[in-house]
Amino acid sequence: MNLPCGIRNFSYDTDTAIIRTRTQWCIFILFLCVLISIPFFLSGFMVDIIVLIGITIIAIIGLNIMVGYCGQLSIGHAGFIAVGSYTTAILTNNFQINFFIALVASGIAAGIIGLLFGMPSLRVKGFYLAITTIAAQFIIIWILNHWTDVTHGSMGLAVAPASFGNTVFNSSTMQYYLVTSITALTVFFSTNLARSKIGRAFIAVRDNDLAAEVMGINVFSYKLLAFFLGCFFAGISGSLFAQWRGSITPEDFTFGQSILYIGILIIGGLGTSIGPIFGSLFIRLLEQFVILLAPTVEGTLSSLPTGFATGLSSMIFGLMMIIFLVFEPRGLAHRWNLFKASYRLWPFSY
Amino acid sequence: MQQLIQYTITGLAVGMIYALIALGFALIWKSTRVANLALGQLVLISSWFTYGMLVQAKLPVWLGLICTILFAIFLGWMIERLILRPMIGQPILSLIAVTLGLAYFLEGLVTVIWPVSVAKLPPIFPQGSVNIGSAVVSQEYLWATAISLLLFLLLSVFFKFHKMGIAMRATADDQLAVQACAVPINRIFSMSWIFACIVAAISGILISCIGGITNALIETGFKSFSVVILGGMDSFIGCVIAGPIIGLCENIGAGYLTQVIGPGIKDLIPFIIIILVILFKPYGLFGEERIERI
Repeated sequence: MNLPCGIRNFSYDTDTAIIRTRTQWCIFILFLCVLISIPFFLSGFMVDIIVLIGITIIAIIGLNIMVGYCGQLSIGHAGFIAVGSYTTAILTNNFQINFFIALVASGIAAGIIGLLFGMPSLRVKGFYLAITTIAAQFIIIWILNHWTDVTHGSMGLAVAPASFGNTVFNSSTMQYYLVTSITALTVFFSTNLARSKIGRAFIAVRDNDLAAEVMGINVFSYKLLAFFLGCFFAGISGSLFAQWRGSITPEDFTFGQSILYIGILIIGGLGTSIGPIFGSLFIRLLEQFVILLAPTVEGTLSSLPTGFATGLSSMIFGLMMIIFLVFEPRGLAHRWNLFKASYRLWPFSY
Repeated sequence: MQQLIQYTITGLAVGMIYALIALGFALIWKSTRVANLALGQLVLISSWFTYGMLVQAKLPVWLGLICTILFAIFLGWMIERLILRPMIGQPILSLIAVTLGLAYFLEGLVTVIWPVSVAKLPPIFPQGSVNIGSAVVSQEYLWATAISLLLFLLLSVFFKFHKMGIAMRATADDQLAVQACAVPINRIFSMSWIFACIVAAISGILISCIGGITNALIETGFKSFSVVILGGMDSFIGCVIAGPIIGLCENIGAGYLTQVIGPGIKDLIPFIIIILVILFKPYGLFGEERIERI
């Protein structure tokens, strides 16, 4: 159905391949070339934005596994990201552990915390689960604020940039390659996860968990697996964020951030592999746009109050979220598919 | 002992306000099955609006309060008409997410219009404190409790006897059957949002009289979810009983645990209660247990 005219499947290998035609290969290789060469022709500031987008994509992919595929609404994602960040900070600062070991450890730590708060999904779902994850968010941030011996409370922690042997990832370019490669791996993993047995089980649980159970899917263990995987990626993302930012405080992981992540996922498209990428790109670029625009607007209209820029970006973001939910609940990913379909069929409309 | 009485009375009064905020949730959930996560933000924006009317526009108190109520009615109507009505029939996940978007929007709006983060309302209730036994309680707490109880009474009577109230309860039970009886569901949804916003406005005024207007009001909104969860989602009685329980736990717990665990434990207790209730009694004290069919 999604194949260009004249392309047929002759074996299972071709049927399951993601990249099918020569054109697709060309586009893919071109895309990779652009991705690799970006730091050579963009300024450091732009590269930093792309690094932030990459980190966001990893977090959203985690959220997509939980919310998009498995249907377990989590509004505490920033809390799980915070767990990852602080694990990396503590491991690299206090125990001098190599960053890449700390990266995996942060993922696992966040995953275990996620499992803990995913336990109630055994009994409840929908709104109750959403409330549990909100509680998780507040409890995690409270602990970070008050366990001052380890986390230094609201002072936060300083984190050294990642290093491997003698290589220190301290420039924008190095950070770019580090984050982009991990993001690419994550995208690859999640795309294939969604097509595997596990992904199909997640979708079955999302669409009707009772029916899934009757069909022999162990609902509880798959729900927990979704929580673990989702929070694992949250931890990875938090770990990368910590070493990129250089210092972390509990203020970086507020409840507003959690809503932001849900919004990014909805704008991108729930339960699609391309959605998280579109959503992160869209929102982060929009954010930068507002930040760039705000000084000019405030300069020309001097009567505006001081909190204008921050308030405006939240307003625009909230509005975007509502508009997308009302008019295009399937998100940018659906628009992209429509575009691809019409491009493929052009010039014939049917 | 004196401390205990003090904590108990403060806890009960604060709990009643939590219960009032939770009532705003239950009102919407009962008739439209929408989980409104923007509770705290609704409270926040109506408190700031009251501040704008009373302090910035310098209206007399009675006129300012009437304006606030009118604003709440307008807000509720707008929210239902513009956001929730196109969403009818969507899965619960989208319904929750859309209220989150609303929450984000309202928070931004408040930052844009009132960039100062802390403000105080002028005294609405008589000042001074009252001695109850050996405890000293500020009068505002008593007024808040009395007004909350009165509102509960009024709303319960409304839901029990008024035609609209009965229609609302019926809608909660079975939307299709109600439509078949020629009840205008749209108007009922609209009404329940308007009621919820009025309740949020009143609780906003009460709570900001006690503690001033800060962004902590949003967290107060989240704390009242523990009331919703403990009392059961669709029960008014649940709210009235669970509210004071949460308030008591919070204040007595804070009073006695602060020396043991450290400051700030007060803000954590409602969330711990949420987790415990969901683990052990997910449908709350008075909630209706749902049996699912395929």
